[in-house]
Amino acid sequence: MQRRSWLQFVTFGAMGVSSSGWLQRIASAAQSSNAGTRHCIVLWMSGGPSQLDTFDMKPDHANGGTFKESSTSVPGIRFSEHLPRLAQQADSLAILRGVSTKEGDHERGTLLMHTGQVPGGPVRYPAIGCSLGKSLAQDEADLPSYISIAPGPFSRQSISPGFLGPSHAPMTVESAPQGDDGSFAQLRVDFLQPSQAIVSQRHMQRLELWRSMQNEYLQHHPTANALAHDTVYQSAIRMLGSKASDAFDLSQESDQVREAYGRGAFGQGCLMARRLVERGVPVVEVSLGDGLGWDTHADNFAQVRRLSEELDNGWANLMSELRDRGLLEQTTILWAGEFGRTPVINSNGGRDHFPQAFTCVMAGGGIAGGTVYGATSKDGTEVIDGKINQQDVLATLCQAVGVPPTTENIAEGGRPIAIAEGQVIHGVLR
Amino acid sequence: MKRRLSLLPIVGVVLWTHCLVVLAQDEPSQDRGTVAQRRSVAAAKIDEMLESHWQSAEIVAAPQSDDAAFHRRAWLDLAGVAPPVAATRQFLADAHETKREKLIDRLLRSPQHARHMATRWNSILLPADALADFQQRTNVNALRDWLAEQFYDNVPYDHLVGSFLTAGGAGDAGPAVFYTSHTAQPEKLAAATSRIFLGLQLQCAQCHDHPFDRWTQKDFWQYAAFFSQVEQSGASQPGSIQPGERVLIEDRPGREVMLPQTDQVMFPRYPGVIESPEADPSDFRRRQLTIWLASRDNPYFARAAANRVWEHLFGRGLVDPVDRMDADNRPSHPELLEFLANYLIELRFDLREFYATLASTKAYGRSSAMPAEQRPVESSFALMTVKTLTAEQYFDSLQQNVFFRSSSVAMGNSSSIDPLRESFLARMSPTIASPRDYPQGVVQALGLMNGPEVSTALAASSGDNAFGLLAAMQAPFFDDSQRIEMLFLATVSRMPTSREVEQIGALLSQCENPDETRTVLADVLWVLLNTAECAMVP
Repeated sequence: MQRRSWLQFVTFGAMGVSSSGWLQRIASAAQSSNAGTRHCIVLWMSGGPSQLDTFDMKPDHANGGTFKESSTSVPGIRFSEHLPRLAQQADSLAILRGVSTKEGDHERGTLLMHTGQVPGGPVRYPAIGCSLGKSLAQDEADLPSYISIAPGPFSRQSISPGFLGPSHAPMTVESAPQGDDGSFAQLRVDFLQPSQAIVSQRHMQRLELWRSMQNEYLQHHPTANALAHDTVYQSAIRMLGSKASDAFDLSQESDQVREAYGRGAFGQGCLMARRLVERGVPVVEVSLGDGLGWDTHADNFAQVRRLSEELDNGWANLMSELRDRGLLEQTTILWAGEFGRTPVINSNGGRDHFPQAFTCVMAGGGIAGGTVYGATSKDGTEVIDGKINQQDVLATLCQAVGVPPTTENIAEGGRPIAIAEGQVIHGVLR
Repeated sequence: MKRRLSLLPIVGVVLWTHCLVVLAQDEPSQDRGTVAQRRSVAAAKIDEMLESHWQSAEIVAAPQSDDAAFHRRAWLDLAGVAPPVAATRQFLADAHETKREKLIDRLLRSPQHARHMATRWNSILLPADALADFQQRTNVNALRDWLAEQFYDNVPYDHLVGSFLTAGGAGDAGPAVFYTSHTAQPEKLAAATSRIFLGLQLQCAQCHDHPFDRWTQKDFWQYAAFFSQVEQSGASQPGSIQPGERVLIEDRPGREVMLPQTDQVMFPRYPGVIESPEADPSDFRRRQLTIWLASRDNPYFARAAANRVWEHLFGRGLVDPVDRMDADNRPSHPELLEFLANYLIELRFDLREFYATLASTKAYGRSSAMPAEQRPVESSFALMTVKTLTAEQYFDSLQQNVFFRSSSVAMGNSSSIDPLRESFLARMSPTIASPRDYPQGVVQALGLMNGPEVSTALAASSGDNAFGLLAAMQAPFFDDSQRIEMLFLATVSRMPTSREVEQIGALLSQCENPDETRTVLADVLWVLLNTAECAMVP
């Protein structure tokens, strides 16, 4: 058993050490292409979004709350009145109203939805974004295969590569708090200097000496951490030398375009996601709800209304711009949070954690738009049709992205593990 | 009615049980012989247990590390910082046979050690968001200062945990931040304390029976009942203390927890113990818990503590991860763990002596260098694990050896916050990962290559504001090979190999003026600071 993982290190080690020709690659700063690549964008609703005030309205029941229901581009499918632009694109969306899990804690729920697995077991499961990033990655890409924009506090742990190892960890883009002046939220990657500096003679000399010292050390210390250090540095060096890193510079977009996405971190993150997909990045995650924004234990309706506006602008604009560029067909979008909210409205006008019956939404590549799968009872407290769990959602996502969920990776101890173990819901796939 | 419960009785009890140890420590040299003997007997026993395992598994163990690697390891593990250049030179030149033991004793008594232990424990005790929240920095530092004092005085571990768990009131600004950062919620405190001090993942049983162990939901909530009386007052926002706020942690008898979705009140019960705990005279539940926690009836406490120290020094717990000592997560060396737990009890939880014993084993002295095809499996402890430096260790080493600035390692000096250090720590990955992982990502690597710390180090070599290592080595009495030596000692704590001297010497010999020489030396420093070797404990 242990022998297997030891052998993995050996092959990994060989990769790290024998990287001949890598300097030339930096110098050539190859432009990445995105021909035929599939992509996945996860829109993560940090805190647990209210299904009853977005995509599973109960206007005829006391649990329904104060929002009105409104029709969409698809007859029979109705959303909250505060999602008007998404309503126009309902023909691209598949609504999964029967999601049901057992985790009502933010941290555990976030992990559950990202990995599909109950936290705390002996196996360190990777987040689905890491598994998909690994499957979809192109060799020697200039940009990482999984980029998480403005992750919330619990996302950091849940987007871990687990047994896939640190070379499959996502890169994170931080957001600076938005000023009161109404300017665009700042999303940036620091210390990404222009490429001229890096190809200078002096820097090439530095890197050559660095490479030789790394090789010397790694030969006698081929350990997971030392090899991961090398992998991470190599990616960083590749990125420094590449034009693809322009993706992070949103000032290259006109104010008009930026404005349409919304000025907040989520809207700007959706714009960055479009730029990253254009440059071939396979998996992007954008979080909405700075901190735990959707955790609306009190004053649910005012908060959800504000969040809905951000969501509607960012997501709807992302879909139309991807469609305009012919990229929506190659890009599958998943909208999800760690759980839903209680149908019963509490005494603070809020809704509490509710994993028993909530909604996820999928859109774009591979997805049959204009469909609803599953239903909850009149009061919203239970799933009465099409009950599915987090595993089924992730398996369906994989299938839609074109990666069979049965694809296996080798866990610690040599055990092969499928990237998603649930049932694919063919009803929402094309 | 609120009522402050007196903490005096518990402190009395704990002090009483430890007065013998305290006396023994103050005893002068005559006892030193027996202490040293006990230590070497225990260390030999540990090595013996490991070796018999290697024999049966046909494992060939690594040889002992060279002096430089051992010196760097001991400094980083015990003092939290790479050794100063002068200390390394002295250690390498020292011909005494007992120099490794002496080094360990000296480091374990240093204020840096207390500081390093406090930093480690801060990150074990506090949730990641509290550590990362700048608003809470004063309180986080207050806890660290409190812990550092305890470690400096070598307060026995059970006593330390006892006073931590019964902390309350505004006077205990240190430990109180533990309660506020867990929003004083019984379930959060229960999850954290059982994980940290018992190595149990009881919290998995919070919403349903434990999926991988025998714990039931009832077990969890009965344990949580020990914290049901905890209440915080004075905080305007739950979960964090705003600047200037004085938060009180109080116990209010009468508050109870209930089994979720029921109205069944849960009364306190020790995990795995069938009988109800003995009543406390003033119904102070945290005290009830503390008495059991450190008692011999508790099979988890010493085991978890011993395992955690082992992990600190060897980079992997005998049960790993250390906070998941569940029934299905078996130790790699069960008899060794049993022995260590009993030894820690025998030492009356004298952590310093326990550390000294583990650090003086042959196992701790083994090399970590071996090519892939010869490496034994890491969990055999037949070679030393390579541990990743924490962001603090990396920065403090840079600060000391390259900037020539002393970090604020003095006790109780956390009011002086260094902005360069703060921004570095804020930028580096806050994930508390295994030391066998490299937690930094591409973004952090970019910062290490192009960020202000390294730029500061490189820019400081000349001009009016010259300072630090590069400036110092401009002195005319150094020749090139001495300069190369200094760069290696300051970053990777060893002499350069002849091949390295040759390689860098060749670059230096092409320089036509002092400016060019300075540039090459700065480049070499850049390279060294960005190597895996500089990021690892050997």
